[in-house]
Amino acid sequence: MTAPRFDELIHAPTRLSLVSLLAATEWAEFRYLREQLGMSDSALSKQLATLEQAGYLEVSKSFVGKRPRTSVRLSRDGRRAFDGHVAALQEIVAQAGARLLP
Amino acid sequence: MSEPPAVSPSAAADALAEIRARQAQAVDATLVPNTFWPTVGGLMVAFTAAVETGRPWLLAVGTVAFVVGLTAVVGRVLMRHRAQVRTSLIGVRGGAVIAGHVFVTLALGLGTGYAAESAGFGWPATLGTTVTAVAMTATGPWVMRHLRDMMAGRPIGGGR
Repeated sequence: MTAPRFDELIHAPTRLSLVSLLAATEWAEFRYLREQLGMSDSALSKQLATLEQAGYLEVSKSFVGKRPRTSVRLSRDGRRAFDGHVAALQEIVAQAGARLLP
Repeated sequence: MSEPPAVSPSAAADALAEIRARQAQAVDATLVPNTFWPTVGGLMVAFTAAVETGRPWLLAVGTVAFVVGLTAVVGRVLMRHRAQVRTSLIGVRGGAVIAGHVFVTLALGLGTGYAAESAGFGWPATLGTTVTAVAMTATGPWVMRHLRDMMAGRPIGGGR
């Protein structure tokens, strides 16, 4: 069972959406994240940099043929932080007596 | 005295709903398109028929066409594949669904092929492969929808 730990860095709305997407994937391309989140290149890069600086992300660059490809994945610390944040949110809801659908 | 929560319960519930929605979004991105099944099925039938003619030139053409076609279909799926869903979301149940689907479609095809051969039908392997192809086309999209619902419904975060 993951210990609840509210994470202010993850909870910011845009970063929450970004980390949630990454939490469901082994890896995701930059373009995929940009399209799914409806963000500009620069806005997404800024959020990724913030999370990478915190040690929550791993960013790798490669080439598919001649096409550059940037892939992103949550680090172990990032996954742990996300799991703790989810547990904290669930605890807040549970304590308020709200029903959470499975 | 306990600390007040960092956010209100309704804000926490909204955040959990957002997390759940993004999980479903990630799952949707990694499923194969419905056109995959009839296309692969058609390639299998054409290849099997080419083999069963027993004519070397048809076998050669059929083999090349099968390899090129399959490479194109799988390549297209891979090129569009810009995220890889977590394997833990598939889980044992998801793996069993996939394995079961493969087993049933293959068993149907093999069974039909052997039965056709016993009955003296001239193109038993092609008939068997056709049955497999039809089964894949009919059930593939259903399996994808079932896997999608299963994965999207998995516990989020640490699994509470």
